[in-house]
Amino acid sequence: MTPATNPESIPPPVVQVRDMDFCYGTSKALFDINLKVEYHRVTALIGPSGCGKSTLLRCINRMNDRVLSARVTKGEVLVKGKNIHDADVDLTQLRKQVGMVFQKSNPFPKSIYENVAYGLRIHGEKNKSVLDEAVERSLTHAALWEELKDRLNANALALSGGQQQRLCIARAIATVPDVLLMDEPCSALDPISTLKIEELMHQLAHEFTVVIVTHNMQQAVRVSDYTAFLHLGKLVEFAPTEELFTNPREKLTEAYLRGTFS
Amino acid sequence: MNSSPPPSRPPLRSVLLRSRKRTILGFDPQTLIKYFFGSNASVAIIVLVLIMVFLLREGIDFLPTYQRELQTYRRAGLEFCDIIDQPLQRNQALSSSLRQAVSASLETLSKSARDRRDAAFLLKRQVEDKTARPRESLTQALEKTPPAPEQIEVMRRELREASANAAKALSYPAFFNTAEREQLQREFAALTPEAADLPPLLQTLVAEFTAKDREARAKFAPLVQAQEEFEEATEPLQEVVDQIKAKALETKEKAVEFAVLETNRQRLLEAAATETDAKEKASLTKEAAESVSEAVNLEESIKEITGRTAELREQVEKYAVVIEKAAAVLPKDAGTGAARSLVNEVREGIPVHAREMRAAAATLDSWRWDKPVSIFSVIGAFFFGTQWITNSSWQDFFGFVPLLAGSLVIAAIAIVIATPVSVVAAIYTNQFASEREKEIIKPVIEFIQAIPSVVLGFIGISLVGNLIKDVSECSWLQWVPGFPIQERLNMFNAGCLLAFMAVPTMFSLSEDALNNVPRAYIDASDALGATKLQTVFRVIVPAGISGILSAILLGLGRVVGETMVVLLVAGNRIAIPDFGSGLGVIFHPAHTLTGIIAQELGEVSRGSSHWQALFMVGIVLFAISLLVNWCARAVARRFEPHKA
Repeated sequence: MTPATNPESIPPPVVQVRDMDFCYGTSKALFDINLKVEYHRVTALIGPSGCGKSTLLRCINRMNDRVLSARVTKGEVLVKGKNIHDADVDLTQLRKQVGMVFQKSNPFPKSIYENVAYGLRIHGEKNKSVLDEAVERSLTHAALWEELKDRLNANALALSGGQQQRLCIARAIATVPDVLLMDEPCSALDPISTLKIEELMHQLAHEFTVVIVTHNMQQAVRVSDYTAFLHLGKLVEFAPTEELFTNPREKLTEAYLRGTFS
Repeated sequence: MNSSPPPSRPPLRSVLLRSRKRTILGFDPQTLIKYFFGSNASVAIIVLVLIMVFLLREGIDFLPTYQRELQTYRRAGLEFCDIIDQPLQRNQALSSSLRQAVSASLETLSKSARDRRDAAFLLKRQVEDKTARPRESLTQALEKTPPAPEQIEVMRRELREASANAAKALSYPAFFNTAEREQLQREFAALTPEAADLPPLLQTLVAEFTAKDREARAKFAPLVQAQEEFEEATEPLQEVVDQIKAKALETKEKAVEFAVLETNRQRLLEAAATETDAKEKASLTKEAAESVSEAVNLEESIKEITGRTAELREQVEKYAVVIEKAAAVLPKDAGTGAARSLVNEVREGIPVHAREMRAAAATLDSWRWDKPVSIFSVIGAFFFGTQWITNSSWQDFFGFVPLLAGSLVIAAIAIVIATPVSVVAAIYTNQFASEREKEIIKPVIEFIQAIPSVVLGFIGISLVGNLIKDVSECSWLQWVPGFPIQERLNMFNAGCLLAFMAVPTMFSLSEDALNNVPRAYIDASDALGATKLQTVFRVIVPAGISGILSAILLGLGRVVGETMVVLLVAGNRIAIPDFGSGLGVIFHPAHTLTGIIAQELGEVSRGSSHWQALFMVGIVLFAISLLVNWCARAVARRFEPHKA
């Protein structure tokens, strides 16, 4: 189920999921998933609640590792051509390459500056000027620099919900990851903040590869280049967004898009 | 299918009417139940208020009572005596140091001779002990009249045999050579009850020591002489002080007696005034009239005391001159290093002491017996008083500082020990331990709370005290300040046990605080590639720090209020710990706020100033606990953004 267009994908896809099964203990959550995420594109994962889209997202940076007895039972996940379950993969480095933004904004109870600098600090960066530069760059990318440059030492928890979520994005991109995973980043935000973040995603796609989980189909249409539709742990259809929404190949997709079930 | 008729509905109006319900005493049962629950909750508050009220009621009278006592202390002239007597106490410390120095110096020459003499006498004593029974019978037989020579002869033989056996069985120290040992054995075997003189060898040993001692005294003559002079110097001054002290005490006792009788008389008169029965009234009035006693003429008696000011000053001056002279002639040289440092200490101490004495004497003139004791000075005397002296024949002082110092030092020790242990244990349990480990660690630590504190006190006395003392005597640990320790029961010992008691509180609350750190912070940190340790120390602990601080403060509250352990283990010496000895101060004994109440409240008469003073201590203790708890809450509220 590779995307139909873009046949000249010469470099390997930044994320590739091959024939992957995923289990929580004995219950299988994902069945035989195949997915290729292209560089500098926004890929949306949509599907009804409980279909496994978040699980799939979390497979890409191995966030599921912390869940006891959750594991990939078949197939593999490649990031930049490397199987991330190989024994020689450093989890720390993997997560540096694959950033993540969560559904609920979760800045640390530290200053704005420290929030953004955190990723670099834990990877051993001590040079003040490097940190300053990275904080400014990331906040600029997250469209926060103008708003916050005068109060970088303010507590991040004093920001509004939308600002907090953009701060989380800034924090995630401070380590310059290749891939940015976003798990329903706008579900807890008001429409205006949502709009800002959606605009931001277009900007981010210039430098990063974005994979976003969303339950809002309009959002998928607005922000993504490719869309994958999951249902009951199976990848039903994966196609360029426009094609999937206007001309779905699968009946199930069509039914879902029409709102027959959710 | 036939449709059943629709259920009948009540008429519209009656639906909205309240149905009749049973009421109890005119109240709706629901309201009553609400009040019942509410009243149970208020019981705690009411009890707390009552505790405060009663503490205050018993304690607040302390200030006027103590004011009266201090007034008497001044009026009767005791204060006047103390002006000189207090600084004079230092004389004893100096003179004891000097005595130690002298004996250490003398020992350098005379020690072996003295040891030989003492050992010989000890051996003789052992022989005598072992042969006590035949000796006793022989003595009795000798005293009997008329004497029975044959019996005596038998007894003598018995005694000789017993003595010979005992002398043979002795172990003779190595510093007696073979010939001496044999001679000693012979002499011991020949001991008789009626012999007045010592056996010859023992005499020789005594002479040997006397000679050595004389030699030593000659060698350290200046030191010995200085010490004697110093000891004698105090005598004339002490004599004068003792005389005026006796006078002052006499006046005070009279004044106290008068006050007691006077209160009694007042009470009788009051009773008479309210008594309706004429006969009773007359008898009460009569009784009151009889108990009139003569008021003490304080002014006259004070004159007698202050009249000797000039003499006192003169004696102080003389004393100061003499001891300064003694200090000047103190030789640089002493027998041992320890003695030398003692002598140096005294040499430096004497001028200070003399200066203090002169300064004290200079203030004698400005002392006024009729200056009133203000309530502020009484408050000062309680809160900043450095002496807690009770049941004294001279004067009771209720100074709070020694107790507070003891409590604070012990609490500080406990917190310093318990904080790292419990916080680190909480971090481990919360973040690193497996489920199985958690199941073991948490109940075990929480079980500590169930240990009765008196049992911990036992452990402190029997185990920890000896352990600390033994450890402190290790030669390679002598760099630790305060080692080797003198007292098994000391503040460090109490602090260790209190730390142990505080660990469960601090551990559980810290663990809760860490548990309350939102999962989302950990997610975010993990997703950025942080290792477990980085997440713990950069995110979880900082986010939980207010809870951890609050846990530490609540632990402190527990430690400050704990009684039994400190009473048993802290050593109970009522004095301000000697902070001059640096960190080693923690190995000194002390008394505490809680300990003093527990120890003394049972023994004082109700309503006395001592009783009231203890309640006052209770009030302060209560205030401290309240403050600590309030701080804990304030800290917990602060820096809790993730809960906002």
